[in-house]
Amino acid sequence: MTTQVLSKPQQKARLRLGPIALIVLLALISAGLIALWSGDPYALNILTYTFLFAGLAGAWNIIGGYGGQFSLGHGAFFGLGAYIVGSLYFNQQATPLLTLLPAAAVAAVISVLISWPTFRLKGPFFAIATMAINEVFYALANYFDDLTGGPAGLAIPFKPAWENLIFVDRSSYALLMLGYMVLVLLATHIFTNCRTGHYLVAVREDEEAAAAIGINVTWTKCVAMALSAALTAFGGGLFAMYIRMIDPPTVFTLAETGVKFALLALIGGAGTLFGPMVGAVAIVPLETYLRGYLSDYRPGMTLIVVGAVMILAALFLKHGIVGALRKHFGSQP
Amino acid sequence: MHEALSVLVTGVLLGGVYALISLGLNMIFGVLRMINFAHGELVMLGMYGTYLCVTYLGIPAYASVVIVAPALSVVGYALHRFIMAPLHSQPNMQIFATFGLLILLENAVLALTRGETYTVPSSMGIPVEIGELYVGLDRLLIFAIATLLAVGTAIFLRKTMPGKAVRAITQDRTSAQLMGVNAKRVFSFTFATGAAIAGLGGVLLAPAYSLSPYIGGNFILAAFAVVVLGGLGSVAGAYFGGLLVGIVESFAGYYIDPALKQAIWFVLFVVVLVLRPSGLFGQVGAEEVGLRPQH
Repeated sequence: MTTQVLSKPQQKARLRLGPIALIVLLALISAGLIALWSGDPYALNILTYTFLFAGLAGAWNIIGGYGGQFSLGHGAFFGLGAYIVGSLYFNQQATPLLTLLPAAAVAAVISVLISWPTFRLKGPFFAIATMAINEVFYALANYFDDLTGGPAGLAIPFKPAWENLIFVDRSSYALLMLGYMVLVLLATHIFTNCRTGHYLVAVREDEEAAAAIGINVTWTKCVAMALSAALTAFGGGLFAMYIRMIDPPTVFTLAETGVKFALLALIGGAGTLFGPMVGAVAIVPLETYLRGYLSDYRPGMTLIVVGAVMILAALFLKHGIVGALRKHFGSQP
Repeated sequence: MHEALSVLVTGVLLGGVYALISLGLNMIFGVLRMINFAHGELVMLGMYGTYLCVTYLGIPAYASVVIVAPALSVVGYALHRFIMAPLHSQPNMQIFATFGLLILLENAVLALTRGETYTVPSSMGIPVEIGELYVGLDRLLIFAIATLLAVGTAIFLRKTMPGKAVRAITQDRTSAQLMGVNAKRVFSFTFATGAAIAGLGGVLLAPAYSLSPYIGGNFILAAFAVVVLGGLGSVAGAYFGGLLVGIVESFAGYYIDPALKQAIWFVLFVVVLVLRPSGLFGQVGAEEVGLRPQH
């Protein structure tokens, strides 16, 4: 008798990278870009902003994209992080290395306290309420001027040292922001593949059905919001040490922060791992370039372009760049 | 006592401004359930339109309403036709697109004016004495017109056939269409009316405020807050909600701190929104109507 050997099912020879491998690959390419442009402060500034906003849009994407909760108030958490880190450094000379994580934790707690009641609101009402919360933070930052410097803001003195997260060399900042972006990507990947992450997508798709199979809807949203807010505040702290000048309009202006995080994520593709990063790569360098190129001409020209891009993206790019590419190449959305 | 009365009058007059803007937004957001963040920019365009009429046509500021309001209704029609209608029943994308329009219009005007501020001359700026209080005649006019407009829109929506058709369409689109209501036309018409009210608001505000591209952005969140606070689609809600926000802002600014006046009514707004999502004057459950996907 001969034993019959069952043939193994044929494996497709197509190369398919897992998300972690893709993140590592992206990090290596980005680090290569930083090395390539290490002598060019203009290019490094663009890279720094691109990585930072890719991270911030990614943080928004957790609750806004995967959770479908269209928050426009993430500027509040961004500003909170920037003010906690900036003010503790300014007033107590506390190193950002020790204050970044507590700032993220404070933002997470505050975000849950605010969101827990606000999550009762659906769709546009949630968006409007979060905008109002952003404006409350704006007013409070102006009011408590012994902590925040009020309307005049906080000017953080330039004392280069790695423990201050202040560097003479701009490529260090670019690497720092790259690290932040990778952190957000990894956190998103891990969270969306855990049980609560799957619950979150179920809640986004159909809240009543999710509740019916026993998912605690509000709790799920709150966990996602806490993670999102913590990562946003962390980015805010890094931003404070990069620009070293924090005032209420810089961190709380809707078009510059809260709405912009959503804009980048939506243009790239909300609810996808790499979408926010794609959006940041598409928009931030363009915006920085236009700002330099058009600002001599007339005021406001850059934002005219940003506004037009938003309208066109809403009309013609509903699933973002990533969604459009997936549709084009025929893989499932 | 005199002090409190004076703060109250200031608040009521400011509330008249909020009510005036909210009445237009109420048509678009409250009745049609469309999220138009660029509504404040329509008011802003109305103000600049008034400036153009006064400067180049030489007509009195308030008379320019005959040109500005129809012009704004055309803008509103185009806005509905090309942006809002394609995004029907996608509220998040409406927020996104109209916020883009807000940024676009604000900065287009900034680029055109190069950041210069303009003022519209009028003979109504003189304060009149009522009892022991001095009140700007222009503000008094805003309050009076807002009141008339509230009564007018309420009668239109409740008593006339076109008004009933508008309400029917938002409550149940399919049934209303089966009854012979032309949904597309009603939507365009109502949106254009809301924009024309914004234009009227712009004409009335132009002599009272100095013109800046950002003035619409200052009003828009307040107007949304008022419409939600008052109850979606409720004309009385938009009117009294506007007055309430004005009075709260005035008292908070005088007795607590000017820096916190907006923060206080924003907190009030969020609390009301959470405790009573249907608003102070709205029907319970009204906030759900028209946001469900309709075919």
